[in-house]
Amino acid sequence: MTAISAAFGLVFDPTVLAVIMGSAMFGMFVGAMPGLTATMATALLVPVTFFMAPVPALGAIVTATAMAIFAGDIPAAMLRMPGTPASAAYADESYEMTKKGQLNLAMGANLVFSVLGGIFGVAILIVLAPVLAEVAINFSSFEYFWLACLGLTCAVFIGTGDPLKGLLSLFIGLAIGCVGIDPAAGQPRFTFGNVDLLSGINFIPTLIGMFAVSELLRGAVTMEKGGHVVAQAVGNLMTGVGGVLRKYWLNFLRGSMIGTVIGALPGAGADIAAWVSYAISKKTSKEPEKFGTGHVEGIVDATSANNSALGAAWIPALVFGIPGDSITAIVIGVLYMKGMNPGPSVFLQTPELIYAVFIIFIIANLLMFPLGWAAIKSAKQILRVPRNILLPIILIFCIVGSYAMTNSLYGVVLMVTMGVFGWLLEEHGVPVAPLILGLVLGEMLEQNFMSSMIKADGSLLGFLSRPIAGVLGVCTMAIWVLMIWRALSFGSSRAAVGAKA
Amino acid sequence: MRFNDAVVGTAFLLIAGAMIAMTFTFPPFPGQKYGPSLFPRIIGGGIILCSVLLMLREWRGGGRPLLVLEDWARRPGRLASFALMLAAMVFYLVASEPLGFMPTAFLIQLVLFLWFGVRPLMALVVATVMTIAVQYFFGSLMRVPLPRGILDSVL
Repeated sequence: MTAISAAFGLVFDPTVLAVIMGSAMFGMFVGAMPGLTATMATALLVPVTFFMAPVPALGAIVTATAMAIFAGDIPAAMLRMPGTPASAAYADESYEMTKKGQLNLAMGANLVFSVLGGIFGVAILIVLAPVLAEVAINFSSFEYFWLACLGLTCAVFIGTGDPLKGLLSLFIGLAIGCVGIDPAAGQPRFTFGNVDLLSGINFIPTLIGMFAVSELLRGAVTMEKGGHVVAQAVGNLMTGVGGVLRKYWLNFLRGSMIGTVIGALPGAGADIAAWVSYAISKKTSKEPEKFGTGHVEGIVDATSANNSALGAAWIPALVFGIPGDSITAIVIGVLYMKGMNPGPSVFLQTPELIYAVFIIFIIANLLMFPLGWAAIKSAKQILRVPRNILLPIILIFCIVGSYAMTNSLYGVVLMVTMGVFGWLLEEHGVPVAPLILGLVLGEMLEQNFMSSMIKADGSLLGFLSRPIAGVLGVCTMAIWVLMIWRALSFGSSRAAVGAKA
Repeated sequence: MRFNDAVVGTAFLLIAGAMIAMTFTFPPFPGQKYGPSLFPRIIGGGIILCSVLLMLREWRGGGRPLLVLEDWARRPGRLASFALMLAAMVFYLVASEPLGFMPTAFLIQLVLFLWFGVRPLMALVVATVMTIAVQYFFGSLMRVPLPRGILDSVL
């Protein structure tokens, strides 16, 4: 109980509340701007949070991302351009609703179910995380090794369209993570005698490069493209939402549940949750023919799912230190920078910090309602901010943010290099999210792998000797086998098609 | 600008090969069988495996052209936009130390604004305001030692 009251004291501090409010507005804006993603919002926030205490720093990230995921729905309905990838699954559907003159209902449903879905995800996080932490406290290097493997495997196979390229991206991330002093023996690796590289590839400039600079490079060549804001006045948002809630409460529960599960799976986040729940909604609907013509049913599922995924992604991040999506990967990087190693011991040593995160999550989701309302009402002004002014300003923020991480040009060099590299990778269909996960988890994976190797004396059977490690290991390897088998049969069927042609 | 997967695979194959070759210079972990070279070698092996599979897949699929240029890469204007965005970052690397953060950031914003078609007065105002705001927030509030350059005596 003392921890909970301490947590309230930490959160209800004027500075923290001001930070939450500020990052909420920032998140709303970034989410509502097409082309700027929730991950980018986080990447740009991190250099600022670097100078804060842990609670406001985490509060800023939690709030900004929650807002951004909702705000992405606004341009989806008004411009048919999803503000963040998480809204892409139902952008067409909400735009069709707008064309039918149901902009109010589309926005109202998006807002209400985003808030409810978010709260659902947080509720699961609050209930499940401490229970799991109690189990996780007994984990040894074997369990952590398999957990990391399982997480990275999920990231590759659920999170990407092309598993082979996802896997390549993951290995590149792990390879980049090898630069610097090795965690077991203290031997410098791949540093080429460079002092800056001794400390490893700094995570934040890499992140800013991969998620923001590559986006700027893409944005520079698509500058003229822009949507037309529909000339429809926003009226009373709540008209009809009650009816939708009564009719589709089951969809809300199902969407939130799917979102929570997918969010909690390492590697897959809000965007995949939205796609999956939209597809399931269509498949199980009584009126599937209405989907795509401006039908609110699928939106209820998907908009609940993407917001619930956000909270659930923190479950593996807080309990095991394994990120549930690219946003929590950033969070874990931030925690490490602040000298806190995420994992079950945080629940014992600083429980007030965990409770503070829970409280901030609840505040953020409650705050989403009035702020989201305001954002919808002022959407026309927000969407009018021209991209040709925005992109150069973001560039300056990227540069300063990266510079601030190393206090030298090394950060900026890293940002530019990684930005171009990330842009090249995405141009070639190689996703960057697995790379970031690999970079974050690389050191932990290697450390647990090496100590497991030494403990088991090189015997792979030793990796499976403990019960939980055994189960995790068998599950992981089963997924590997399944994937290899699928890849092989897919390859041969493709070859057969090629032969026929 | 998009190379086909065989080219991508070859590039990563070479990088991973170099990476594994470098691990042979690492000294062993005294008293242990497994040293700092083990993990990078496994990762390097993984990259090689993926690269080879990518190349095989490309060849079995009949192989696309080695290099495909998208629409924007054929249009000089858009290509210039891309190059300018990149050049702005390189300019910061070169100029920020001698010129200082404020003049560099101001110039970068002004040039980019004008190139992307912002009206000159607007460009001037936004570039000035943003430069001062960033310098104040990061330089003064967050105490980031942004390079002072030619404004050293003023700041």
